[in-house]
Amino acid sequence: MSAPDRTADAADASPPGTGDAVPPGATSPAGAAPLARWWARRAVSAVVVVWGAATLAFVGLHLLPGDPARLIAGGGSLNGTSPQVLRLIDRQYDFDRPLYAQYGHFLGQLVHGRLGTSYQLGRPVTKVIADQLGATLAVAGGAAVLGFALALLLALGTAGRPRARAVASAVELVLVSTPGFWIGVLLLSVFSFRLHLFPVLGNDGPRSLVLPWVTMALPIGGALSLVMREGLERALDQPFAFTALTRGVGPGRLRLRHALRHALLPVLTLSGWMLGQLLGGVVVVETVFARSGIGQVTLSAVNGRDFPVVTGVVVLAAITYVVISTAVDLLARLVDPRLRAVPR
Amino acid sequence: MRTKPGPVTRGALVSALTSLALAAGLTACTSSGSGDGQAAADGTPVTGGTLTYAVNQTQTTLDPGVSSADVTGIIDLNIFDSLVEQTGASAFKPWLATSWAVSTDGKTYTFHLKKGVTFQDGTPLTADAVKKTLDHAVDPAAKSQYAGSLIAPYTGTTVVDPLTAQVHLSRPFAPFLQALSTPYLGIQSPKALARPAASYRPVGTGPFSFVSWTGQKNVVLARNPRYTSWPSGATHTGPAYLDRIQFDLVTEDSTRFGALTSHQAQAVASVPPADVKALKAQPGLKLLSHQAPGANFNVYVNTRRGATQDVRVRQALQAALDVPSLVKTVYFGQYQAAHNTISAGTAYYDPAAAASLQPHDPARAAQLLDAAGWTGRDAKGYRTKDGRELDIVWPYTPAADREGRDTLAEGMQAQAKKVGINLQRPSVAVGTFVADIQNGTYNLIDTSFVRADPDILRLLFSSDQLVTKGGANASFAHSAELDGWLAEAATTRDPAVRKHDYALAQAYVLKNAYVIPGYVEQTTLGISDTLHGVGFTPQAFPSFYGAWLAR
Repeated sequence: MSAPDRTADAADASPPGTGDAVPPGATSPAGAAPLARWWARRAVSAVVVVWGAATLAFVGLHLLPGDPARLIAGGGSLNGTSPQVLRLIDRQYDFDRPLYAQYGHFLGQLVHGRLGTSYQLGRPVTKVIADQLGATLAVAGGAAVLGFALALLLALGTAGRPRARAVASAVELVLVSTPGFWIGVLLLSVFSFRLHLFPVLGNDGPRSLVLPWVTMALPIGGALSLVMREGLERALDQPFAFTALTRGVGPGRLRLRHALRHALLPVLTLSGWMLGQLLGGVVVVETVFARSGIGQVTLSAVNGRDFPVVTGVVVLAAITYVVISTAVDLLARLVDPRLRAVPR
Repeated sequence: MRTKPGPVTRGALVSALTSLALAAGLTACTSSGSGDGQAAADGTPVTGGTLTYAVNQTQTTLDPGVSSADVTGIIDLNIFDSLVEQTGASAFKPWLATSWAVSTDGKTYTFHLKKGVTFQDGTPLTADAVKKTLDHAVDPAAKSQYAGSLIAPYTGTTVVDPLTAQVHLSRPFAPFLQALSTPYLGIQSPKALARPAASYRPVGTGPFSFVSWTGQKNVVLARNPRYTSWPSGATHTGPAYLDRIQFDLVTEDSTRFGALTSHQAQAVASVPPADVKALKAQPGLKLLSHQAPGANFNVYVNTRRGATQDVRVRQALQAALDVPSLVKTVYFGQYQAAHNTISAGTAYYDPAAAASLQPHDPARAAQLLDAAGWTGRDAKGYRTKDGRELDIVWPYTPAADREGRDTLAEGMQAQAKKVGINLQRPSVAVGTFVADIQNGTYNLIDTSFVRADPDILRLLFSSDQLVTKGGANASFAHSAELDGWLAEAATTRDPAVRKHDYALAQAYVLKNAYVIPGYVEQTTLGISDTLHGVGFTPQAFPSFYGAWLAR
């Protein structure tokens, strides 16, 4: 990982910030202790994030208007649920206890890793989520990879080339500002309904994943590419780029080997945004493409006031967020040598 | 608001067909396809194949004794058989029960069961299964959303011998056989019912057995090769023709429709009215529709709150609105406007009741409002009385909006404004909506209620059927006269008395403007023309026992 021009990069480029969560190893006299402190701080903030998210979900669900027992018993219609059944539901799910008692119980269960049993489905929440996680990960993971690859291609191919750049950024802006729902319906009607290339019904096989991937990857790729090209162009304007060229480095190698690193840091900091995009995206994609997954589970859980499932999904999202932001910080150290700890 | 006029000729055709069907004394059924529905007319049925049916609704349980969802009824109809079969508006034939007798006080029904029938899990059909099924529906722990309310007077079952079950009711209950004929009270295997609710599997004696249910994705059924208990009115005997039925959940309208046009599904539920023309234009596809019995899509007027407490204001609202022309425009002529609370396919439907409804007449509406004291006008042009604006609040929740009902309501809003009524449509969250319904904090509320029995009128208008008590009396109707007719009609066994009572009740609720009729609910299926023999139950559920796929 030691390019010949590394010192030149580090001396000349102003370091793009990745936030204050970066370990302060480089400036500290003793490397190991601060690193341990950094991990400890990470762990504490992870607990705070998960607790905060779970609490917000609890409060939010209880602030929503409407009698939860009636919603659990059968949604927003005039239906014949007898008062006895409603009282039974109240008792069974502790709705007749004061809110603080319900909250205490909820936190106690959460600490022990117990997410409870779905009101609507009668199955453990961990099972409900585990059953659907694979399908959702396949969609979201594939879309993230595809989106990143798309951004890479677009940015490397068009940075610093005015005409290509103009076309690419126009396309990217359109992609970023088009609702995913619309992209999905459009892709479906062309590639599934008209050309019969991909199926719409069924979670079966990689062929059914292609259109959902593309639907989610297009806006993500568009946004990442905008940011990446910006970083590439900034890096290519730096004196080190000129130095590298004079040393005989070809333009392609200059982009890939030298400038890309600079462009990747701001892209990495966007990963939190990307996670949000993916979470929101799966709900839309699962609806349009009639797929099962976490998005569909969440949608029906929110509508049916299925507290355990909703909080389960929120906790899962919070943990994913913590893991990804930690991974991104570690990755940032790989990408930018200036952020690494002193040699141990 | 859409203003494109619907195809007039089709609307005329529908009503002509309807009156023909009525004249012949049949259930109102308008088949818009090329005369599908009868297996015989389509050639020789072929055995085999998988039917993929894209539905637009999902459920939280497949237990018919618990769920209230239509889609659960449609799926369970294939898995379960019922004790009796409803063959007409108020006609019943033997099914799992070969015969039955009713005690002279109308409180005990004795059912004799068919011999040699086994459930899909191998358990024999016995009187114990009948007892377990009915006990399960009314057990509070089962949290039944519908089946329990269908047989509210049920007190218990005595197993007389293995093939004789005696069912006891607390009072005579005329709608009892109709309730038993619905898939929600299909007879379940006692062995399957004994399992905990979380690992419930639907097991009946029906033509298809349950294979799998994948969460929000699909339900798969396979042919029951040992099927012996077809109903007496069935179009064929023996096992079903289809190997498998796959019910795929596709909530997005355009995706569902696309799945049909691209032949990825052979049938789709709930074709949006706007897509009907495109469907008919495409070769190889056709539309099946069947009008539903029970309460139409109606707007119920709260008689206990604000301006609508005054019968003149309620009548003025009826007169101000021209619902039929809105229905025609919004639904491109696909739906039929209603002129009664219940649809023509419901037993004891009285066409003469429509005369008690205020005809569309804005001038008459203005007179009624003047008489009620709403004579002032505010800056926005709405009527006022003692400085208060004439506000009529009709909350809705987007989550429950379907079939463009919101567009219909917007049209009504514009018509109400013309006579000075401020018809408000606050959009609220599901929870608020449920709270509004419970607390009666609305002037208008809309709903439809498919039920193949006129007893639906009691659920909607009897004073002991308030929503807080588990009923559906959204108008807060409170009339001793009305209660009397509806109670008598539900307990008497004399058809002439029922007819008389229900005729009086239908006219009464329209005259007192407890309700503004909307449109007649219908089941609309888009199918590929390779699919034949799809029937409809009196409840307007599609039935796949006789269905087959051409090669």
